[in-house]
Amino acid sequence: MKNRRSTPAPIVGLAVLISQAALAANHREAPITALDHKADITDVYAFVSYGPRQAPNEPPSKVTMILSVDPFLEPANGPTLFPFDPDILYEIKVDNDHDAIADVTFRFRFSSEYQLPTVYTAVAGIGDQGAFQPGTDILVVPPQIRDFNNPGLNLRQTYTVTMVKNGVETPIVNNDGSPFFTVPANAGPRTMDYAALFRAGTYSNLCTTGISVFAGTTDDAFWIDLGAAFDTANFRTLGSGVPGVLTDEEDEPIYVRARNFASDTVSGYGVNSIAIEVPIELLTRTGAIEPPGSPDATIGVWGSTSRPRVTVRRSPNPSESRGPWRQVQRMGNPLINELLVGIGSKDRFSMDQPANDSQFADFFLDPPIVHIVEALYAGALSVPSAPRLDLLPLVTYAPPIASPDTPPGPIADLLRLNTGVPATPFEQASRLGLIGGDHAGYPNGRRVFDDVTDITLRVGVGGVLIPDFNHFPNNRLGDGVNVNDAEYRTSFPFLADCPNGRNRRHIDPGEPGGGPIQ
Amino acid sequence: MAGIGGTSTRASPAADPSSSHFALVAARRSRGREGILLGEIAMSPMTAAAGILLAFTTSGAIRGAADKGVKASPAEQKIAWAQQAIEKNPSRHQSYNELAMALARRARETSDVSFYAQADAALEKSFQLAPDNLEGEKVRTWVLLGKHEFAKARELARALNKRTPDDVLIYGFLADANIELGSYDEAEEAAQWMLDIRPGNVPGLTRAAYLRELFGDIDGSIELMNSAYQQTQPAETEDRAWILTQIAHLHILTGKLADAEKLLQQALTLFPGYHYALGNLAQVRIAQRQYSKAVELLRQRYEGAPHVENLYALAEALERSGNLGEAKAAYREFERRACKEIAWADNANRELIFYYADHARQPERALRIARLEAGRRRDVHTLDAYAWALYASGRFAEARRQIESALAVGVRDSKLFYRAGAIALKSRDRLAAARYFKQSLDLNPRSESAGVARKALLRLEQQASTRSRSGSHGS
Repeated sequence: MKNRRSTPAPIVGLAVLISQAALAANHREAPITALDHKADITDVYAFVSYGPRQAPNEPPSKVTMILSVDPFLEPANGPTLFPFDPDILYEIKVDNDHDAIADVTFRFRFSSEYQLPTVYTAVAGIGDQGAFQPGTDILVVPPQIRDFNNPGLNLRQTYTVTMVKNGVETPIVNNDGSPFFTVPANAGPRTMDYAALFRAGTYSNLCTTGISVFAGTTDDAFWIDLGAAFDTANFRTLGSGVPGVLTDEEDEPIYVRARNFASDTVSGYGVNSIAIEVPIELLTRTGAIEPPGSPDATIGVWGSTSRPRVTVRRSPNPSESRGPWRQVQRMGNPLINELLVGIGSKDRFSMDQPANDSQFADFFLDPPIVHIVEALYAGALSVPSAPRLDLLPLVTYAPPIASPDTPPGPIADLLRLNTGVPATPFEQASRLGLIGGDHAGYPNGRRVFDDVTDITLRVGVGGVLIPDFNHFPNNRLGDGVNVNDAEYRTSFPFLADCPNGRNRRHIDPGEPGGGPIQ
Repeated sequence: MAGIGGTSTRASPAADPSSSHFALVAARRSRGREGILLGEIAMSPMTAAAGILLAFTTSGAIRGAADKGVKASPAEQKIAWAQQAIEKNPSRHQSYNELAMALARRARETSDVSFYAQADAALEKSFQLAPDNLEGEKVRTWVLLGKHEFAKARELARALNKRTPDDVLIYGFLADANIELGSYDEAEEAAQWMLDIRPGNVPGLTRAAYLRELFGDIDGSIELMNSAYQQTQPAETEDRAWILTQIAHLHILTGKLADAEKLLQQALTLFPGYHYALGNLAQVRIAQRQYSKAVELLRQRYEGAPHVENLYALAEALERSGNLGEAKAAYREFERRACKEIAWADNANRELIFYYADHARQPERALRIARLEAGRRRDVHTLDAYAWALYASGRFAEARRQIESALAVGVRDSKLFYRAGAIALKSRDRLAAARYFKQSLDLNPRSESAGVARKALLRLEQQASTRSRSGSHGS
């Protein structure tokens, strides 16, 4: 363990290196996903659901899981907008018996149709009645899109949801048997009433399952000063005078009180999101809501995208050479592949199963990035030594997320969630999650408003889960972006509206809320 | 008559780690330790200095050829480029890797194993400059495969795979080594990773195609080979010729001789005198009973690629053509040379087994060599030869176990089916024998073994009919 020296230069270097390696969100983190935009998972969230009138310590009842894909969707970018890819199998998986193998899987498949194949754009609409050819009753432009049956929703997508549990596939269907529609990107206020479509596309308490589902183009719930990160991590100098280190004032932990001191590069962009809310009884091994001290309370969640593959052995049908699926990407925690896995192993990591992650254990527990920091700054930084056992809660079932008597299971990149921990009321929730004293936040699951950038800097690099490292500046590392540019919902699916294409705003440095240019 | 234990020389896919695209195969059965092809060059293969010097000499020769207007092959061009890079910057290790890879590719083009020794020498220089460099290790694996040191190649490939699991070509090496050693599950897993990590990559497609062939899916193999061909650059003439030859080989397996011939002629136009294509075209001629033409093709191949097993194929063709005197001399020469290599990794033991079993009537010698070879590798073709040696020496039960182990992989080959039938017959399992003979004929009614299979099947049917009649009389 090194002595800490609070000199500015090493701290800058620390933030620089980490942000370059890790904080590019989860976009394009491996060569194969860089080439496959539609299958690129940006974020996975899993948390105990809460409501607008959530009371403290209210017993948990449901878990929401969100899989976001297809990064940096510019809502002004017509005419085809951003459908989900019908060739991709989107999955959210849950391990409930600590072996890193999925026990409950939710599968999502999409289909596309054009309602007006001769019209040039995916969406078109105006007013209550639409627009007619002058002097005739020939409808040229459909009315503003407010529901999924409007022909102006030219490119219309539906999707199916299947729950697989113990090998049994159960279709999750709409209450009235009608298909689930995806919510399109928000082309603009003339074309559509996006909020109405969002409401219509939120399917709650389906049949007898109590499951709710949503799929569509939404605001990207993630936030970060990505521009600074990719300019060789040229983070902005804020109140501390040290780039990448926040003052107490800048580091307001309560999300609803926090504000931004740097520009959210993801602001004004959409992302394709799949969300599902599931009663906890359907997820736990015991089929019951377990108290937080129970080993069975903690589950592991991850998302994956897969495409059909050519198999060495063809299926029994000789004319059919496309067999099962090849996984393009998977994600549990928001940092593992980006920050820890070596460049020569990233594709294998993306395509392999979490249960096989012991092959990457050296990356997890002895992150090369820390050695780089040490080498560059000649021991002037206070960084934990390998093996980084303090990171075990991210890759095994361990306290402080799981109860102490929980079997740790194999090393695996899963987003661990103790389903017995009550949700924190939104107004009281800390963007810093567990290290902010909010037990319902990352890395105990991940909520949409958890500041995983700052948490990652502090936990992954600063080592603040080790008491000896939980001090300044390790516990004040941050990029200065503390809140989302859009307002999250406080009920399922908890996501914010997709920015509208006509008036969307990407917040730049130098403008209000964008932080300084320097 | 020529034995029905005829062998097929088969190239499995391997990859070219030095190239921006992917080459397809390592040189197989590449010979010439005696220096026949480059006999004028005395070489100490493990001496780096000599190797580099030799490579420079080769490069000079290539440049000379270019000056005289002779078109350099893709590998010759790469050798020349690598040499120029070394001249400009002798301390750049990657240039030696590139030279080694180009030399290994030249080994495949020419079937001349001395290029592997030169490649080793270039690699030695590379490792002096940059110990354990990954690209060098990959070329080293390639060279080990080319030299038939499959177990060593697999060991190295496994270590490299652990070090860099995203590298597609290392999976290719794993697939190649495991195919040759008969570890088909591990080979399939490696090939599947190739297809998954980079869908549509040519080395992955060719390896998957070869596995499909071994698993008995000949149409599926052709499908993948066609995809590989479409994705191979036209400038890569030898790669394209290799793929065409492989597709032709697959057609030959099912008796589609006209289709095979068309593709082989294309291959020979693309890469004149290509030894793999000549050998396959000779198989077509044999199936057409044009033995003299087959002899000419195999003679041409042997002149260009004087491998001892190529001499065996020539001897068999000579025998079929009725030129018994020359055939006898060729067999004698084959035996003399093949026996020298019995203990080597790169040998002609498979051909020697069939020679002793079918021609020389020395089944115990066949069996001794077969046991040695089966101790090294358990691939389909080795098991087939082993089974045949057991059969020839009267050990029918064990022969049956071995041939059925080979067939359990799924392979569909008329000669194997015939041999399985013959072995089953001696094991007094007439039903199985009839089934195997029928499978042989159904798959390829024009195979080398079709005549004997047909006769054997007819005899079995007659016997069954006789038994049936006597049974009727008796009842």
